[in-house]
Amino acid sequence: MSTFDDPFDAGRKLSRAGCACGQHRSATEHDQAALALRCEPVASTEARYEGVVASAVMRAMFPKDAARRAFLKSVGASTALAAISQFFPLKTATEAFAESGAPEKKDLKVGFIPITCATPIIMAAPLGFYARHGLNVEVVKTAGWAVIRDKTINKEYDAAHMLAPMPIAISLGLGAQAIPFAVPAIENINGQGITLAMKHKDKRDPKDWKGMKFAIPFDYSMHNYLLRYYLAEHGLDPDTDVQLRSVPPPEMVANLRAENIDGFLAPDNICQRAIYDGVGFMHLLSKEIWDGHPCCSFAASREFITGSPNSFAALTRAILDATAYASKAEHRKQIAEAIAPANYINAPVTVLEQVLTGTYADGLGGVKTDAKRVDFDPFPWQSFAVWMLTQMKRWGQVKGDVDYKSIAEQVYLATDTRKTMAEMGLAPPASSYKSFAVMGKTFDPAAPEDYLNSFKIRKSS
Amino acid sequence: MTEKFISIEAIAKRYPGAGGGEIAVFENLWLSMQRGEFGCVIGHSGCGKTTVLNILAGLDAPSAGAVIVDGQAIEGTSLDRAVIFQSHALLPWRTVLGNVAYAVTSKWRDWDRARVRAHAQTFIDLVGLTGAEHKRPSELSGGMKQRVGIARALSITPKIMLMDEPFSALDALTRGTLQDEVRRICLETGQTAFMITHDVDEAIYLADRIFLMTNGPAAVLAEIVENPLPKDRGRTDLHRHPYYYAVRNHIVDFLVSRSKSFATDTPGHDPRNVPVVRIGKPELVIASVADGPLQETKQASWPGLSRPSTSS
Amino acid sequence: MTSSLRLRAAIVSIALFAAFIGVWHIATRGTGAVASMSPEYARLMGLTATAGKSAMPGPLDVGAKLWEHLQRPFYDNGPNDKGLGIQLGYSIARVGLGYLLAVIVAIPLGFLIGMSPLINRALDPFIQILKPISPLAWMPLALYTIKDSGLSAIFVIFICSVWPMLLNTAFGVAAVRKEWINVARTLEVGTLRRAFTVILPAAAPTILTGMRISIGIAWLVIVAAEMLVGGTGIGYFVWNEWNNLSITNVIIAILLIGMVGMLLDQILARFTRMVTFPE
Repeated sequence: MSTFDDPFDAGRKLSRAGCACGQHRSATEHDQAALALRCEPVASTEARYEGVVASAVMRAMFPKDAARRAFLKSVGASTALAAISQFFPLKTATEAFAESGAPEKKDLKVGFIPITCATPIIMAAPLGFYARHGLNVEVVKTAGWAVIRDKTINKEYDAAHMLAPMPIAISLGLGAQAIPFAVPAIENINGQGITLAMKHKDKRDPKDWKGMKFAIPFDYSMHNYLLRYYLAEHGLDPDTDVQLRSVPPPEMVANLRAENIDGFLAPDNICQRAIYDGVGFMHLLSKEIWDGHPCCSFAASREFITGSPNSFAALTRAILDATAYASKAEHRKQIAEAIAPANYINAPVTVLEQVLTGTYADGLGGVKTDAKRVDFDPFPWQSFAVWMLTQMKRWGQVKGDVDYKSIAEQVYLATDTRKTMAEMGLAPPASSYKSFAVMGKTFDPAAPEDYLNSFKIRKSS
Repeated sequence: MTEKFISIEAIAKRYPGAGGGEIAVFENLWLSMQRGEFGCVIGHSGCGKTTVLNILAGLDAPSAGAVIVDGQAIEGTSLDRAVIFQSHALLPWRTVLGNVAYAVTSKWRDWDRARVRAHAQTFIDLVGLTGAEHKRPSELSGGMKQRVGIARALSITPKIMLMDEPFSALDALTRGTLQDEVRRICLETGQTAFMITHDVDEAIYLADRIFLMTNGPAAVLAEIVENPLPKDRGRTDLHRHPYYYAVRNHIVDFLVSRSKSFATDTPGHDPRNVPVVRIGKPELVIASVADGPLQETKQASWPGLSRPSTSS
Repeated sequence: MTSSLRLRAAIVSIALFAAFIGVWHIATRGTGAVASMSPEYARLMGLTATAGKSAMPGPLDVGAKLWEHLQRPFYDNGPNDKGLGIQLGYSIARVGLGYLLAVIVAIPLGFLIGMSPLINRALDPFIQILKPISPLAWMPLALYTIKDSGLSAIFVIFICSVWPMLLNTAFGVAAVRKEWINVARTLEVGTLRRAFTVILPAAAPTILTGMRISIGIAWLVIVAAEMLVGGTGIGYFVWNEWNNLSITNVIIAILLIGMVGMLLDQILARFTRMVTFPE
């Protein structure tokens, strides 16, 4: 379920305790306020904030529920809103709310890797999401994952686009010194793919892939874990039966053309680019391995979060806003055009469009459509982090006992994001953990060790 | 010899030898000169002539002993003692004027450009290089280069000029002209000059006294030859002077044979009281000096060696 | 005679260039439209896949793109997309800064080493070990310690361009003719004035030769360093266009890198000629 269901949708099921926006003590009260203010369809973010603010104002003016209800009943919701607006400048209040504490630092630098996973981070610049939250953000293209990690650690970047497992790895001190990092938002879900060289177009069964060479973008990446998972499910040991190489995404297509590798599980626009250039075909969308898997995250150091809490909050809100915007299918074409120029992803618009709209050439002469090929959902499920930790342990990246829950809770800021989303009028899930299935196998975040032990193929430790 | 303007007192120069010991180039060397005197040192290569000059210049320090100039022991180099180098040692990145001006500004730091230039120009004119001021050393002939070297040395108006075989690299014609030049300048300015040479004729033409050194190692100052020729001698008629061949033969004879065996021949040699040879004076006259026929014979014994030179 | 030789050489050069362009053009010709492709599918595919266009751009593509760049060399479309002129400017500024630092360190230190046999002996082992280290091997260390990628790039330029200058300065200073030093000594020239008026001009041709080697290395390294740290500069441009698999732009960048490198070398060569003295 996406977090971006319309909070004003009357038909929406309210199965959780409290209300969806978190502002009201009960769902009924939330609905009451929502109904009261439904004077026009909520289309824009401004309108959504206005809704939140107006209901707050209403509550402030009529602290007693009964009195408020009576007032609303007697005059009607739209009249009430108009009346309030007259003596309470709602617009100003909305702005003040959106800023909620001036950012300590307005000029921020956010690093990104030019792939479609970074869509919310990138598009927030040309489409003005950062500016809307009072920030002047420069999004800086970066050469690789190790560089983005180092530059963020070195405070050249205030926050950055990172592969979802990277903040966990950095916090644990894997491959670098341990520095506490946190993830307020997931960038994208799905949106990756296994692309094979054209010469393998008849070799679609992974059991035939023994001895092949595959590229992945980084060791601490969902790509690594998903490819390993996929191969292992088909009976191949990824450490002994195939070769896995860390290759920077832009070099993947060139390597595929040069037949240095047989295929890759790569972030998108790279997969589609290989197809576009006629060197590869789409074997499998990552969505088919695990529908709704996280890929990249928006990460910042704990130091930045505690040092500039308002800037961080504003950044998070901008990213959440942008992610919400990107999740709408009707915006995807516009986004593709906005992020294609050399200043951002620097790729042909056609390629980005195919990735974002989900209508794409598969490289074998067919046109496929899958609207959820890539999707955007910011909620940093702690269960995602737990799953990644099980895979890190499975493949020997971490050893010994892992305190799954506490690491997940330290790095994936589900609670804070839930609060922020609620303040913004978005509908966050009530829980931070959810169960999901990867290739049909259910993962229970409450029993990670059992899950881990259920795999036959794993690195012997 | 009443006033010792330069007094070299018991200097020695030793180098560490191969076997851990020391090799002495010379030991206990005494030598003195008067103000305005022109002294020439003659000796074979390796006798330490250049070392003596370098010690005098302050470029080298003696292992023992001291050099006193004008009543003061010298310590290092001084603008009072100008050196004319064998290889002229001009700074090739500077023009003629630049080279001379460099010396002038070194002596008179507070002079302005115009004054330095005018002063340098005087000395360039003096050595006959007027018109070549803006040429670089590479554009000059060997003789012209050495003229610049002389102008540079003179421009700082030193008390002593030290010359290390200044003309040995030049052709005979140029050498002659420059010798005239140096002699003229020294006479005009009353310079005290100390010169090393291999050329016997050069020594006789220029020097008031000629210092003969034996072969090294352990070289000694064997004799001091007082030049009997008059001060106003000319280079072209030098050989016509009655004492010319006597002096010349004495020196050549020393260089050819006695310089090798001097130490064994004269065991009682006192380095503080080096014998002075005064050719033409009865007490030290070499028997055959005034004897024409013998002179002829002696000359005949050097066929084809009218200008014996030790530079080989 | 020489002018006719020059003329003939020019003719040969032009002929070689023309032949190269011709071969390049023929080698990168497309293979013609690929048959049996639904128009809907073809719309989604690139020209390489649909029209059989070579993956390698031809000279005409490069020429057209170059013309495009030359017409607006200084555009600025945000932090990640700037005109070639600006990118080159960044690279040259970085090289200049790192190089300047290297000059400031290498020449006085080289003087010291050249003049003092003690320091020469003492520093020699360090120099011998540090000198052959590949400049880019310093990069992770620099990033880790300096904690600033811009400064790290400058540091890498510094560390790789310092050695030729240092060694040449030391050698040049040590090899200054004794007689020139003696001239200065007999003129009672002080140590500092001697260093500037005798040793420096005498060693200048050797020092400049070292500086010329250094600027070449610095320019080689900046491209690689910028590809690594990104942000700005011609190296970043190459990386960014490589990201987009735009070989055309990469070729243009290579051309420009070569030309700027040659220019830098020529400038230093001119300086070298200025300080060289015939003997």
